[in-house]
Amino acid sequence: MNTQDWPFDTVLVANRGEIAVRILRSIHAAGLRGVVVYHAADRLSPAVAAADMALAITGDTPVGAYLDGAQIIQAALESGAGAIHPGYGFLSENAAFARSVAEAGLTFVGPTPEQIELMGDKVRARAFVEQAGFPVAPSAIEDDDPASFVERAREVPFPILIKPAAGGGGKGMRVVRDPGELESEIERARSEGQRYFGDGRLYVERYIENPRHIEVQILGDSHGNVVHLFERECSVQRRFQKIIEETPSPALTPELRSKICETAAGIARSAGYVNAGTVEFIYGEGGEFYFLETNTRLQVEHPVTEQITGIDLALQQLRIAAGEALPFSQADITSQGHSIEFRIYAEDAAAGFTPTTGPVLQWTPAQGEGVRMDSGIAQGQAVTAAFDPMLAKLIISGKDREQACARADKALRELVLLGCKTNTRFLRQVLNHPAFINGDVHTGFLDAHPELASEPEVDSQTLTKLLATAAAMTRPLRDVADAVPTMHAAMGEWRN
Amino acid sequence: MKHGFKFKDNEYDIGLSRSADGYRLHHAGQVWPFTLQASEEGGWILASNASGRRVIDHLAVAVDGDEVHIHLDGDTHTLRFEHALERLAQLNEAGAADAIRATMPGSLISLSVAPGDAVKKGQTLLIMESMKMETTIVAPRDGVIAEVLLATGQTFDKDAVLLSLEPLDADQEQPS
Repeated sequence: MNTQDWPFDTVLVANRGEIAVRILRSIHAAGLRGVVVYHAADRLSPAVAAADMALAITGDTPVGAYLDGAQIIQAALESGAGAIHPGYGFLSENAAFARSVAEAGLTFVGPTPEQIELMGDKVRARAFVEQAGFPVAPSAIEDDDPASFVERAREVPFPILIKPAAGGGGKGMRVVRDPGELESEIERARSEGQRYFGDGRLYVERYIENPRHIEVQILGDSHGNVVHLFERECSVQRRFQKIIEETPSPALTPELRSKICETAAGIARSAGYVNAGTVEFIYGEGGEFYFLETNTRLQVEHPVTEQITGIDLALQQLRIAAGEALPFSQADITSQGHSIEFRIYAEDAAAGFTPTTGPVLQWTPAQGEGVRMDSGIAQGQAVTAAFDPMLAKLIISGKDREQACARADKALRELVLLGCKTNTRFLRQVLNHPAFINGDVHTGFLDAHPELASEPEVDSQTLTKLLATAAAMTRPLRDVADAVPTMHAAMGEWRN
Repeated sequence: MKHGFKFKDNEYDIGLSRSADGYRLHHAGQVWPFTLQASEEGGWILASNASGRRVIDHLAVAVDGDEVHIHLDGDTHTLRFEHALERLAQLNEAGAADAIRATMPGSLISLSVAPGDAVKKGQTLLIMESMKMETTIVAPRDGVIAEVLLATGQTFDKDAVLLSLEPLDADQEQPS
């Protein structure tokens, strides 16, 4: 597409951090102008530096600024943008925002508000998928008949999982193994759902033991074409949050791979889905899989799909939003090699994954063959508790899984972030665990192996090196040492 | 009192002296000679002949106040310098802290007290959110709120002082 063929020449990115930088890259690749909105806390961020124009937004909290749709639409109009890309999180799955964008005469880079509403409501989405003839797990949905919900929940084969109807990100989810605890757990999940999503409606479904999380990337255009771009396995999770994602999934045979990918494409086709989306499945040890949910946006882990297919997903999103037909058919899309993403978090794994903060004194991304780093931090910035603790993503590719893992270990050792503790050592411990090496993990893997989060003892040789370096780098100590003439120091035994 | 570094939960007494071509670390009765030089790539090169053979490590180091952050052999470590005098002062400091600090970074969801309020041990002072979970902070003892240092919605770092209690007056503790 030539620049003059686009219905808009400027795109505003309504996001921050690594994903804003990532989307700006595709906007620029398309020959378009990229605008970002930013809260003052992000004024030194790489996204602001990479944008052609950056407009400040305000809010009661930094996060509040990025959730203020009216202010962002106003900024888009002021900047001359014709389209808004929401990234992930924030307003990306907010149907009312998508509708307001259209009403302001702008293009929303994503699915229609109706599709966001349908797929964003887990209960409606599940009913839709079931009616379309695709597999869903045995369940009980409160909305079907609130009066009999507890009774119906009791009939689902235990263990069961309670989920908020409006939920996401694992918040408010509870596993119940003992039917005696059902009612109290329902009440707890309801109050959490109410607090996080302003919606206390629930549903329960059968909890699959040792399940894998497998999802399929979808692209649909406004001409009725839908393709899949293969699966991603995201089974390494802590507290229901993904931390390592890869493609292809080590669990799938070619037959199952094609079956799960075709199922996802079928679901998207039934919904007339437009733009990028992800259909998530829960995959059991016996090869059975059930629909989990659809994410109507670009996913955090989309880069691994880009690495094995060679397709720029953010660029395709822009083309689809511009009304273009997909430039490839299903048969044109091939999967080559293996790619793994590691999420670099500001957190202390050994302290129960509590978030960490601090100044970014040095940030040296990993480099080398097969290494891609999508990062949103820069030296001189500070990591604060104001935003999500994900700082960057390390995406490693190789001709096969073994090569990708070997490159990943090297890259995780080489990347340097000083000033704020991160989870890189923890990621390496997971990467080098025999179960991960064998591709034999499930979503409860990290909970079953708490030792992976603990910090290994520092050996005495390393301790000596650390103390020596710290001493030589500490001004008061060095000044005292330097003040003693060398000859004198060399002669006598040094005393404090 | 000696100078020292706090590393993880331990404190290490150390000394540093010059040698003919570099420095010597004095630690736990051992003397370890080494050199530390800036590398062309912007990092540091730590070298030592202590084991009889020259061993070289490439490091990244950043100093921030009293904290030294070191990236060595794939891992990052933080050591905190402790001045000899300050360590002495800490030992003499009164035991019970009046400052109520954040045990982890987060944001303030609601505040239940204001300066001047009398509080009972165990009474809710504030609710904070961290890691998408809510935590209730309660009064560690009976007392009076001296200062509230943040507003609802505000974010804070680990160890930040959230609010403080009026110091206990020794006389008041005695039953009259």
